[in-house]
Amino acid sequence: MTTLTALFAAIVAPEHITEAASIITIAPASTEEVSAVLRLCSEHKLTVTPCGGATKQDWGNPVTPEIILSTRNLAGIREHIWQDLTATVGAGTSWAEMRRHLAAHNQRVALDPLFRTPATVGGIIAVNDSGSLRHRYGSLRDLVIGMTVVLADGTIARSGGKVVKNVAGYDLPKLFTGSFGTLGIITEVTFRLHPVQPHAETWTLRSPDIAPLAALQQQLLDAAMSIESLQLRTETTGFALDVRFASLPEVLRDHELRLRELASPLTPTASGKEVWQQRENLFAIPHATILKITALPTQTAALLHGFNALASTGILAHAVADATGIVTVALNGEPLSLFALIADLRSRLQKDGGMAVVLRANSDLPADLDRWGGSPTAIAVMRAVKQEFDPQRLLNPGKFVGGI
Amino acid sequence: MLPDTVLDQLRFAVGPNGLISEPNQLQTYECDGLTNFRALPGAVVLPRSTAEVQAVVRLCAQHNIPFVARGAGTGLSGGALPQEGCVVISLARMNRILSVDLANARITVEPGVTNSQVTDHVRAAGFFYAPDPSSQTVCTIGGNLAENSGGAHCLKYGFTTTHVLGCEVVLPNGEITCFGSPHGIVDTPGYDLAGVFIGSEGTLGIATRAVLRIVHRPQVVQTLLAAFNEVHAAAQSVSDIIAAGMLPSAMEMMDRISIFASEASVHAGYPDCEALLLVELDGPTAEVTTQMQQVRAICEQNGAWEQRLAQTEKERALVWKGRKAAFAAMGRVSPNYIVQDGVIPRTRLPSVLEQMKRMSDANGLRVANVFHAGDGNLHPIVLYDGAIPGEEARALEFSYEILRLCVDAGGSITGEHGVGREKQCEMSYMYAAPDLATMQRVRRAFDPHNLANPEKLFPTPRLCGERADGAYHPHPLEAAGIAEIF
Repeated sequence: MTTLTALFAAIVAPEHITEAASIITIAPASTEEVSAVLRLCSEHKLTVTPCGGATKQDWGNPVTPEIILSTRNLAGIREHIWQDLTATVGAGTSWAEMRRHLAAHNQRVALDPLFRTPATVGGIIAVNDSGSLRHRYGSLRDLVIGMTVVLADGTIARSGGKVVKNVAGYDLPKLFTGSFGTLGIITEVTFRLHPVQPHAETWTLRSPDIAPLAALQQQLLDAAMSIESLQLRTETTGFALDVRFASLPEVLRDHELRLRELASPLTPTASGKEVWQQRENLFAIPHATILKITALPTQTAALLHGFNALASTGILAHAVADATGIVTVALNGEPLSLFALIADLRSRLQKDGGMAVVLRANSDLPADLDRWGGSPTAIAVMRAVKQEFDPQRLLNPGKFVGGI
Repeated sequence: MLPDTVLDQLRFAVGPNGLISEPNQLQTYECDGLTNFRALPGAVVLPRSTAEVQAVVRLCAQHNIPFVARGAGTGLSGGALPQEGCVVISLARMNRILSVDLANARITVEPGVTNSQVTDHVRAAGFFYAPDPSSQTVCTIGGNLAENSGGAHCLKYGFTTTHVLGCEVVLPNGEITCFGSPHGIVDTPGYDLAGVFIGSEGTLGIATRAVLRIVHRPQVVQTLLAAFNEVHAAAQSVSDIIAAGMLPSAMEMMDRISIFASEASVHAGYPDCEALLLVELDGPTAEVTTQMQQVRAICEQNGAWEQRLAQTEKERALVWKGRKAAFAAMGRVSPNYIVQDGVIPRTRLPSVLEQMKRMSDANGLRVANVFHAGDGNLHPIVLYDGAIPGEEARALEFSYEILRLCVDAGGSITGEHGVGREKQCEMSYMYAAPDLATMQRVRRAFDPHNLANPEKLFPTPRLCGERADGAYHPHPLEAAGIAEIF
């Protein structure tokens, strides 16, 4: 046991400390233990990477920390007040476990993130993941109502609370959502919940040409129907539009008729739940480089069209676009042409403020690939925030945008 | 109060018509909707552009002069209350709608545009702007961003922060930046600075432009008024509706005093009862029709003796007029009143209301209750007579006791009015010292010299005494019995 390990063993049970390849992994069992561990790291200037289910550690710039702080012992449902539609859970709880628990009361956190097992609540919040449900229920910033975090110096801070409506003080949970573990470690989260919709139907429309699908998507959005999810995606040949209606059975009947009317001459076919796994399936494509593109919703169809047209250049692209303007694309091809494609894509998106972030890069891609695609306008304020929260730059140093 | 040289520089920045420095004219700006706190600013500027706002903020930074941004001044917590001698920056003249993108459901506006103007602008195209504070016909988007304004319909549609996709901001050092996306694109890389800026009550900078999300008008809207003989029964109906898996666009409750006041003021034709529940459903016709039947059945089970369904736009408008006029109508039943803004978990409604009644009986001050029942946001209105010596102080203390009761129930001291000056000392009841210190880190990152709306939001030793530093620790001399603290 090294001296350092011995110091940590005074805080955390020894069986929750492991050491391999000169990285110490520590799995504290409470917020207080996280605080004591971080205080010690801060005293010894040790860099720390927080880790949940380790499903997205390769997102963002690579970091080799001295300490990995695992949240696996911070798991569990702390409180589920189903009558108030709120629940508090440990950050190390897997999404699937939380989902099972809430489902007992026909409730859920209305978000469909990637890798529900073993991805954890804390990790999903740290990267601000979201899926197609976002169209109706918003993203994590709309669903997280309270949070306990531990800052780099060990300060335990609670923010927000257990009520949905609350404007007392700064909204720190929003600051931590999507911060990639660079500001502190999330240990506990309170969510607002939604009822699970008992009746839902998914319809898929296919077309060799994307224009009619894009037009239909716009018509559906304008029709003020009970749409829960919408996604536009590439298929081996052509494109597909998936729509899920969720409402009362009589409404679903009405919506089916309206869909058939709006879609004509295309014909909707009933689909199973598995079409909503399409975004996650992109991550299973071997050796793929995966981008998260953000653009205006009306621009996603043109992007998908462009991706299918890449086949002639030797790049294989599979993409899924949600209705809020987020496109996830998996790219396979010769490294240098992928590198050039990403640069080209970014310059095309730039005009209208679109961004392309490389979530996962194939190891053959040049090492100087900019994962984040430049620095945002407010980078100076972001750096100032980082400086206040983690002046020694110990938490995931360099992982975030602009090298934060 | 400001030196002439500074006034000259301000005049140069905003033009002679953009500066107010005459004491009698400055009085217009000495308070906001919380009128029992007043202070005279040193100057008021009325910039017409982002560049002018920037010039003014730069001058403030250069001379170390605090500044307070102001929209329509309708805030209820003293957020726009000036600091003595400060510069008030009114955004009222920056009131243009800059662009509309219907296909992407976005609109870009300047901060002085009123909340209602946004909806008015897109109504014909079938859209509306969802956040709807009661002051929506006059309050401005800039003020809405500062306070993260809610309103009756945020139960379903969310708050201002849900609907802002990006904002241009003049930072306290005079730099112009952008939080979120100037194009209204979601998830731009980086910290969610828009998320922390919205609702920061003017302490992190001044928004000079905002990209807002607009929402498709639902196919149908129906509003039900249900009259109950007991507040409990109305509260139970609210819980039952939520438990049935419905998400109404609004659920509002009023008690007898509020109903009486509202009736006297705007004659909405409310039934004479102990508690009135207003439930609004919107969405596809088939969904609303079926769910409204369920809602009516729930209300009937809980003893509603009268139910009225407003279906036409005119009937609905009248129902809402009574609700939205409720605060102002209190003048009909009491010479003075204090409006509070506590939040509790919905299920605690009956017990908190009961406790509030006991407190009211004990101290002899009446409380009227108007609230957003669906999300547990109470607006207790403490009625008092300022002419009776000491009654105002007692009323104020009672209103703070109610907030502490909300915190004890697991809630918050403010759901939509903000902390401002009014509730800053209560912040240390709701949050522990490290929580507040963490928020201060954010503040330092944005405003290291503490110039943007200082002495708001956070408890300060000057205003709140030692409580600001957390639990009281006796001085060693005191502990040793050598000295005493008076």
